[in-house]
Amino acid sequence: MTDGDLEVFLSLVERHRRYLYNLAVRITGNAQDAKDVVQECLLNAYLHLDGFEQRADLRTWLNRILVNCALDHLRMVRRRPDMNDPTPITDIADVAVSSSPDPERLAWRADWRRQVSAVMDTMSPLERVTFTLRHFEGHSISEIAQLVGIGDSATKQHIFRAVRKLRLALEPHWSGR
Amino acid sequence: MSHLRHDDLVLHYYGEDGPRLLEVERHLQTCSECAIAYEALARTLGAVTPPEFVETTVDDLWAVRQMLRERAASRAPKVSAPFVALVWLMPLLYPLTLRALFAGGRLAQEHTIATPLVALGLAWACAGPFVAAFALNRMAVDFEWLSSRVFAGGAMVASATPGLYLLVARVQPGLVWWYAALAAAALMSLAPWPSTPRSTKYVLVVHRLSAAVITVFALTHVANQMVGFVSESSYAAALTFLRESYHQPIAAWALLTSSAVQIVTGATMGMKKVRPGAWKDNVQAISGWYLAMFLITHALAPRLLNPGVAPAPAAVIAATQFNLLATARGAATLPFLLLGVVAFLYHIGTYARLAALAYLAEAQVRRLSYAGVLVAASVVVTVGLALCGVHVIR
Repeated sequence: MTDGDLEVFLSLVERHRRYLYNLAVRITGNAQDAKDVVQECLLNAYLHLDGFEQRADLRTWLNRILVNCALDHLRMVRRRPDMNDPTPITDIADVAVSSSPDPERLAWRADWRRQVSAVMDTMSPLERVTFTLRHFEGHSISEIAQLVGIGDSATKQHIFRAVRKLRLALEPHWSGR
Repeated sequence: MSHLRHDDLVLHYYGEDGPRLLEVERHLQTCSECAIAYEALARTLGAVTPPEFVETTVDDLWAVRQMLRERAASRAPKVSAPFVALVWLMPLLYPLTLRALFAGGRLAQEHTIATPLVALGLAWACAGPFVAAFALNRMAVDFEWLSSRVFAGGAMVASATPGLYLLVARVQPGLVWWYAALAAAALMSLAPWPSTPRSTKYVLVVHRLSAAVITVFALTHVANQMVGFVSESSYAAALTFLRESYHQPIAAWALLTSSAVQIVTGATMGMKKVRPGAWKDNVQAISGWYLAMFLITHALAPRLLNPGVAPAPAAVIAATQFNLLATARGAATLPFLLLGVVAFLYHIGTYARLAALAYLAEAQVRRLSYAGVLVAASVVVTVGLALCGVHVIR
C-alpha cells in the first residue's frame, strides 16, 4: 500500500476516530490506554483493509477491531500491573467538572466515580468489555456477542458477573446515603 | 411465578428478557420483594454513568499518521533466512532423529542408565511442531513475498513431519523418497497461496460438529492406550471391542466423512489466525495441521500397509504397539502417535476452554485450564510409557 492509500484510509477513519477514542476510554478507563488501543486498532484496520467486506458497515468493522484490541490490551495490563495508568479517566472528568458550585456534591461524585472505577478494575477483561458495550454503549447482547466473537449466553454470563460485582461493591454505598 | 433471580433482573433492566418481558413486569408489580431488589439494581446501575466525552486533538491524528507510516512501512518484513532454515531443518534432519531414538531405545534395553537418551531422542523427534510454533510466533507471514511463502510452507511441513514421514515411508520406503517429497513441498510453497475465505463462521461450525464425532472415537482410543499402560492384555480386549464397533458400516462412514470434513474445513481456515505473538492461535493452527496429516496417514494405513489382507488380531497389534522401540519402523511410529495425542488434547482443550467461558468466570476457566494441562500431561506421559513397553502388569 502506498502513502496515498494511507491518506485515503485516514480520511475514511477520521470521522469515526472521536467515537472510537471515547469507546476505548470507556472500556479501558484511562486516556493513555485508550490512545494506545485506538492506535493499535487503526494499524490493524489498515493492515487488514483487504479483509473488510464491502457490504459491512465501516464503523461496525472498526468497532470489532477496537473491541478486540481493547481486550488484548486489558489482558496485557492484567498480566503486568505496573502498566496501569496512574491517572484514570474518572479523575480527569472530575477535574473537568470541578467548576461546579456545590463542593459537597462534587466530593461525593468524585468518590462515587472512584468507587465505580475501582470495581471496574476488578472485572475480568471480558466482563469489562461486555458490560461497557451493554451499559454505556447500549449495544444489544447479540450485537456484543458478534463484536467480541463469543456466544450470546457467554456474553450474558459476563454481563451478569460484572453487574453482580458492581452491586456487591456499590449497593452498600447507596444504602448508606 | 417464583421470585426473580439476579440474572432475570439484569436482563429486565436492559430490556433483554425477550418474550418474558411482560411476565417479569407483571411479577414486579405484584411481588414487593422482587420490586425492592429491582429498584436497588436500577438505582445502582442508573448511577453508573460513562466518563465525560473526551475530544481528540490534532496531535493525536498526527501521532496516528506517523505511527501508521512507520509501522506500515516496516510491516511483515521479509522472513529472515535463519528462520526459513530453522523450519526446513526439522524435516531434513528428521530421519536422523529417528535413528537416534531407535539407537537410544536399543541402548536403554541393554543398560537402564541410557533411558534418558530415549527421552532426548523422543524430544528431538517431536521438536518439529514446537519449532514451527516458535518461528511463527516470531515472524509475520506476508504471502506476497517468496521468502514468507517458503517459510510458511516449511512451518507446515515441520509441524506435520512425523505423519508425513510415515505416509511417504508407507508409499515408497527409502530416504530418497523422503527428500524428494520435501523438495516437492518446497517447490509447491513457492507458488502463490490460495487466499482463505473472508468469513469462516459457518466453516467453523461444520468443523466443530465433525470434530465432535472424531473426539468420541479418539477419546476412547486414547483411554485405551492408557489402559495399555496397566496391562497389554486389557488393551487387546478393549481394542477387539472397539474395532467391532467402528468397523460397522455406519460408524466407519461417519468416521471417514468426519475426517474428510475436518481436513477440508481445517484447510480453508489455514493460516487465517496465525500471527506473531499469538501463541494460542498459532499452536491451535499447528495442532490442526498435525491432526490433518495424522488423520490422512491413519486413514490410509490399511490401504498402504496390507492391501487386501484381513486386519491383524488385536493381540498382535498390542504386541507391536507396545514395543515400538524394538524396530526402526516402530520407532518412527512413536513420535507420530505421541504427538497425535498432544495435538488432539490441545486442539479439543482450546475449544473446551472457549465453551467453558460461556458459563464460568475467566478466573475459574483459567484454573480449570491449568488442571486440564496437568491431566493432559499425565495422559501423554502414561501413553508414552505404554508405547515404550512399560506396563504395570506384564
